[in-house]
Amino acid sequence: MPRLIATRAVLGVLTLLAVSAVIFICTQILPGDVASAVLGQQATPESLQVFRQELGLDKPAYIRYFSWLFGVLHGDFGVALTNQRTIIEELRPRFLNTLFLASYAAVLAVPLGVGLGILSALREGKLSDRVSNIVTLIAISVPEFFVGYILIILLAIDWPWFPSLATVFEGMGLGERLYVATLPALTLVLVVTAHMLRMTRSSVLSIMSTPYVEMAFLKGLTRTRVIARHALPNAAGPIISVVALDLAYLVVGVVVVENVFVYPGVGQYMVDAVAKRDVPVVQACGLVFAAVFVGLNTIADILSIIVNPRLRHPR
Amino acid sequence: MADNGNRSSTSGLTINRRELMAAASVLGLGIHMPSAFAADTPKKGGTFRLGMEGGSASDSLDPRTYADSIPISYGWQLWNGLTEVDQDGNVAGELAESWEAKPGAVTWVFNLRKGITFTSGKTFDADDAIYSLNLHRGETKSGAKDLLSPIKELKKLSPNQIEITLASGDADLPYAFADYHVLMVPNGFTDWSKPDGTGAYTLESFEPGVRVITKRKSGAYWKPNRGNFDSVELRYILDVSARTQALLSGQIDGANRLDARTVGLVMKAPTVNVVRTKGTGNRFAFVARCVDDPYTNNDIRLALKYGIDRQKIIDTVYKGYATMGNDTTVAPSAKYAAKDIPQRAYDPEKAAFHFKKAGMANAKFELQVSEGAFSGATDAAVLYQEALKKAGISLDVKRVSGDGYWSNVWLKAPFCAVYWGGRPTVGQQLSQTFLSTANWNDTAWKRPDFDKLVIEASAELDDAKRAKLYEEAQRMIVDDGGMVCFAIGDYLDGYGKKVMGTAPHPHYDMCDQRIAEKGWFA
Repeated sequence: MPRLIATRAVLGVLTLLAVSAVIFICTQILPGDVASAVLGQQATPESLQVFRQELGLDKPAYIRYFSWLFGVLHGDFGVALTNQRTIIEELRPRFLNTLFLASYAAVLAVPLGVGLGILSALREGKLSDRVSNIVTLIAISVPEFFVGYILIILLAIDWPWFPSLATVFEGMGLGERLYVATLPALTLVLVVTAHMLRMTRSSVLSIMSTPYVEMAFLKGLTRTRVIARHALPNAAGPIISVVALDLAYLVVGVVVVENVFVYPGVGQYMVDAVAKRDVPVVQACGLVFAAVFVGLNTIADILSIIVNPRLRHPR
Repeated sequence: MADNGNRSSTSGLTINRRELMAAASVLGLGIHMPSAFAADTPKKGGTFRLGMEGGSASDSLDPRTYADSIPISYGWQLWNGLTEVDQDGNVAGELAESWEAKPGAVTWVFNLRKGITFTSGKTFDADDAIYSLNLHRGETKSGAKDLLSPIKELKKLSPNQIEITLASGDADLPYAFADYHVLMVPNGFTDWSKPDGTGAYTLESFEPGVRVITKRKSGAYWKPNRGNFDSVELRYILDVSARTQALLSGQIDGANRLDARTVGLVMKAPTVNVVRTKGTGNRFAFVARCVDDPYTNNDIRLALKYGIDRQKIIDTVYKGYATMGNDTTVAPSAKYAAKDIPQRAYDPEKAAFHFKKAGMANAKFELQVSEGAFSGATDAAVLYQEALKKAGISLDVKRVSGDGYWSNVWLKAPFCAVYWGGRPTVGQQLSQTFLSTANWNDTAWKRPDFDKLVIEASAELDDAKRAKLYEEAQRMIVDDGGMVCFAIGDYLDGYGKKVMGTAPHPHYDMCDQRIAEKGWFA
C-alpha cells in the first residue's frame, strides 16, 4: 500500500508538470497576449510595447516558462500580470469558496445518489426505480444553467426562500454561508446525482447476476442482505470512481453555475485570466485543478482497494 | 469577453434635461423622471449596493488600465479629475476651479482648487496635477495617452496654477481632463493597492471580480450635496439575468446594462425605476478599409451604406432601444452634430445603382463579425446580408472568435464590425477615428482636406465658424468615408425606487458612472 501511494504521488507530480507545460503552450497559441487583451480596442503600438516591456513579455517564451517554474518550485506563484496582485492570496479564498460549494453539494449528492442507486437496484423495475431514473435523467439532460434558472424562478421568485445571489464573503458565518449557497448547491446536486445513481444501480445489478450472488440467494438470504453484504463491496470500485469523478467535476467544472449565481469561485477567476491571457494566473488555476483531479483519483483507487476484499488480500 | 475597449463614452450633448424628459415622455418610456429630478436636498446615509457588468478578476486600481464600467465607477468614488462633464454635457470644474485659454488656444492656464486634501491628509497642489497628467504622457501604457499627446509642456506657475502648452490649438482641452483615466493622485504616488484620493469615499476592500467596497470619509466632502452614502458596495454581476433578478428582488439598489429584450418587463416592476439614456451609448458600425479592394471605390462604399436596413436592425436586434446612426460616430444630439446632413435610409435601388456604377459585378464582399466586437453584431450582419440581397449584392458573413478580435481582426480585415464609445466632444470623436494620423483609423480613410478642417476647427474659438468647419468635416465622412454606422445604442440602467439623483447623463450611463457620488436614498 505505501508503495502504491508513493508511485501515485510521483506520477501525480509528473502529471502536474506536464499539465503546466501544456497550459503554457496553449496560452501561447491563443491569439493576442496580455497587453493586447487588457488594452483591447484602446491599444496603440507604443502602449502595447510599453506594457510588454513592463511585464517582461519581450523575453522568449521558454525563459518565461522556466522562471515561472523556478518560482513555483520555491512556493512562489508570482503576481498576476494584469493587476500585479499576489496570485496565492487571490486564489486561496476563491479555492476555499469552491471547495465549500463542492463539499456542500457532495454532502447532499453522494448519499442521495448512492442511496437512490441501491434502492433502485433493490426495487428494479418497480415504480420508485423508474421515477427516480426519469427525474435524474431529466436533470442531467438539461444544461446546468437552465436548472439554475428554474431553481431561481421557483425558490427565489415564486417562493422567495433563498437569495438568487449566492456571493459568499469573508467573515460570513457558516449558517449564513450555507443559506446563501443553497441554490447553487442544489443545482449541482441535481446535475451530479444522476451519474452516481445510474452507476450505483448498474454496477449493483451487474454483480447481482454473478454466480456467487445466485449462490447467496440459493442459501436463503434476503435481497437486502445479499446486496449489502455480497454485492455492494464488490460493486464499490466503479461507484467510488464515478463519485470521485463527480467530486472533481464539482470543483473544476462549475464555472457556469458560479456565473448564474454570482458565486466567487475559482472558475470565473480562471475564465477572466484566460480572456486576458494572464498566464501565471491560468497556470496557477490549472495546477490547482489538476492537483484536485490527480488527488481525488488516487484516493478513489486506494479506497476501492481497501473496500474490495479480493484486492485487499492479493494472492 | 473582449467587450472592453474604449468606453470613454459619449458626446458633447447639447440636449438638455427638459428636452430629454420631453422626448422620453412622448415615447412613453416609463422613465420615472420626477423622483430623479426632485429638487429636494440629498440625504446622507445608507449602504448603496450596485451590481454591475463591465469588469473582471483582472481589474486593477491603476487608472491607466481602466477600460470598462466597473473600474470607471470605483475610480470616480476614490478620485477626482481636473474637470467633469455636467448634466448638460458642458465641461465644469472639478479639482480645477477655472481655466483660461490664451488666443489661439495653444497656451492654457488652469487654476486649481485650494484646500482640498487627499485621504492621507496631503493638500492637492500643482505638483500633484503635473505628476498625475504625466502618468498618461510619454512612455506609458495608459489608455489616455493619445488624448493627452497634444500636450507639449506642463509648467507650474504657482502652487495652485499650472500652464499647459499644446502642440497646436485646441479649444476643447478642458474636456480631455474629464476623461476617466486622468485622475488626480498625489505627487510621486505609485502604490495603487492603497489608493490615496480626493474622492468622497475611501477604499475598504478590493476584491476584483467579486466586489469593491468603499466608505464615506469622515468630515464633509468638498463637493456640496455629493458623496451621500455611508458606504458603497459594488458587486461584479456579469450575467445580465442574474443582475436583473437581483435588482427585482431588492438584493441590489442599482444595475447597469439591462437587457433590451427584457427591459419592458423590468419597467413594469413596482419596485424598480428604469433610466434610459437615448442615443449616447455605443456606436455600432461595420467598417470598410478604403485602401483594400473593392472598398477603394466610393460607389461601392455608397452602395454598402444605402443597402443597410437600419430601422430593421434597431427593431430586431436592439428591440427599439437604439437611435439610427448616420455613418459617422457623431451622435445626432451632439453639439456641432451636422443637422443639415439628411439621415441616410434604406434604399435598395440606390444601392443597386451605385453598385452597377462601380462596374465590379464580380466583387466579393466578406464581412467579419464577432460577438466580441459587440453583442448583436452577428444578427445585425445577417440582417444586413438579407437587405443587400434586394439590391443584388451578395455579402458573405464570416463569424470569427471574440478572442483577440481587437488585435487580429479589427484594423486588419477589409470589412468588419466595430463599436465606438462616445466622446465628450465632436473634436475628440472625429480625430480619434478619422484623422489620417489616428492610431485607430479603422476605415484607413486618409484625406488631408479633412485633417485640415478638423485641426482648424479645434483651434477656432468662434462658435459659428467652428460649427461650419465641423459640418463640412462630417459631410466628407458621410459621403466618402468607409464607415457604415447603423445604430447608436441606448443606455439602460435600473435602480431601486428609493434611489434618488439618477437623472440620465449625456456623457455615460449611471450618471456618468458617478451615481455613487451623486445619488442618495430617499
